[in-house]
Amino acid sequence: MDDMPLVETRGLTKRYGQRITAVDNLDLAVWRGEVYGFLGPNGAGKTTTLRMLLGLIEPTSGTASVLGEEPGSPASLGGVGALVESPAFYPYLSGYDNLRVISRYAGVPRPRIGEVLETVELSARAKDRFKKYSLGMKQRLGVAAALLKDPELLILDEPTNGLDPKGMADMRALVRELGRGGRTVLLSSHLLGEVEQICDRVGVIHKGTLVAEGTVAELRGEEGLLVRAEPLEEARQISESLRGVEGVRVADGMLRLTTEPGRAAEINAKLVSAGLRVSELRPVEQSLEEVFLELTGGETV
Amino acid sequence: MAASFLAEFLKLRKRPAAWVLMLVWTTVVILFGYLFTYSFVSAPAPEDAPREQRAQQEAFSEELLSTLMPENLLENLFVNGTFAIGGAIVLILGALASGSEYGWGTLKTVLTQRPGRLGAFSGKLLALGAILVLFVLVGLAAGSLGSLVVARLEDAAVDWPPLRELAKGLGVGVLIFAVWGSLGFALAVLFRGTPLAIGLGLAYALAVENAIAALPIESEAFEDVRSLMLGENTSSVSGYFGSSSQAFGAPEPLVEPGRAALVLTAYTVGFILLAAFFFRRRDVT
Repeated sequence: MDDMPLVETRGLTKRYGQRITAVDNLDLAVWRGEVYGFLGPNGAGKTTTLRMLLGLIEPTSGTASVLGEEPGSPASLGGVGALVESPAFYPYLSGYDNLRVISRYAGVPRPRIGEVLETVELSARAKDRFKKYSLGMKQRLGVAAALLKDPELLILDEPTNGLDPKGMADMRALVRELGRGGRTVLLSSHLLGEVEQICDRVGVIHKGTLVAEGTVAELRGEEGLLVRAEPLEEARQISESLRGVEGVRVADGMLRLTTEPGRAAEINAKLVSAGLRVSELRPVEQSLEEVFLELTGGETV
Repeated sequence: MAASFLAEFLKLRKRPAAWVLMLVWTTVVILFGYLFTYSFVSAPAPEDAPREQRAQQEAFSEELLSTLMPENLLENLFVNGTFAIGGAIVLILGALASGSEYGWGTLKTVLTQRPGRLGAFSGKLLALGAILVLFVLVGLAAGSLGSLVVARLEDAAVDWPPLRELAKGLGVGVLIFAVWGSLGFALAVLFRGTPLAIGLGLAYALAVENAIAALPIESEAFEDVRSLMLGENTSSVSGYFGSSSQAFGAPEPLVEPGRAALVLTAYTVGFILLAAFFFRRRDVT
């Protein structure tokens, strides 16, 4: 990763009138080479943020830079490929001609069209009119258009929206593949599983505000073990004295030990040899979903 | 800008609606410019009509027939109002060129490419301009064909207007189409879509202007207002090619052709600046 983030916002805010604040004082940094997940429920401000990064929407206040340039400027757009919300193309043109139009805008040589069609596996239907495409094909054409410029930064807004399970899996595999190639990807999604599978780092946005940011592991919180043993108080005292256990607390009739999950067998042996009855011992597995619900006050996605 | 122009031109060139409008325009030129008039002039006067009435009709027919001849191509197309009807057609084309992007949501696709907003806007406008020039050329060609057929049917000599006059016809045609096309273009940007832009544009072109012109008000102030209206200036600029036959009962143009050309140019620039302002400043949501 470089010293300079590819995408950086400081205090980015978008208000509509006096009452609606779509994005509120957002500080965000996306570093070169990472796949960054922008996670939030519908209406959280994800798309508004991405549109501001692409120069489609003027921020009310705050600053943003994309590839070190002003969002929406030719210098910034030249290195960015984007798919914002549903893919939008000219219905009377074929997939190929749609890409021809875009390649002309972008100043991309014509042979590149064939390459991106291959990448998204759409070559066989490239001559069909866009209006005849299935949703999955439209989405893939959207990704192909985003790839035309061979961009440093890909901005994908809910790329699996409306796709069937097979289409979703294919799209996720494609995004993962693109991320592996050293490209920086900023992916917005309201699907926790998707972000968990694809992204290196995640920013959680809620009601226009970034409420958490970190790797998936960081967001999940500290590692640990859950122990159900009797008598509980005696088990707590023994656990506190064990080497490698950094913290012990009681929750829902169980002990929650802050320690490496790999020490489970050793801890089990100590407790049993002390004459305690251990009926359950398992790693803490807080899912991203639980973290998300905690962060957003229980609002579902 | 060149890249945007090429992209926009490809879109318009491949758009079926553009070709349908061109077909409509060609049909208008042939039907209203030649076929209907020729059917009227070639119909014999009723046998039982009084001699004076028959003579009057024959004279009128002769005058009309002369406007259908190749040497009067420009007079027929411009003074008799064919290009004014074409203005309404290119208003639709202008609205489609900018407004459809909002309906399809493709504006975000365009504006996330390299050129930036003003680059994309300029390309769009230039491509529309190129298609409008093509529309004018097609109109002149269809008119030439119509007049040639009439001349052959009447065994008349085929004399074309001088090249200088034809060039002037091209210029005036482009000016008329530019102002109506840019009106449609600007309305569609303003209303972020085609239906309202086309509806309001056509209502203005076909109803409002005519209704105002028909008001029985005789005052200098009213004439000053009328002399600034689009339709009035479109008719007046055609005065370069002659004046409308009194037999049609058409009123004399209010504005001298040179001034009308200036007014139309000012309107075109105004519509483009208005569209550019909104295109550049507005959020694309």
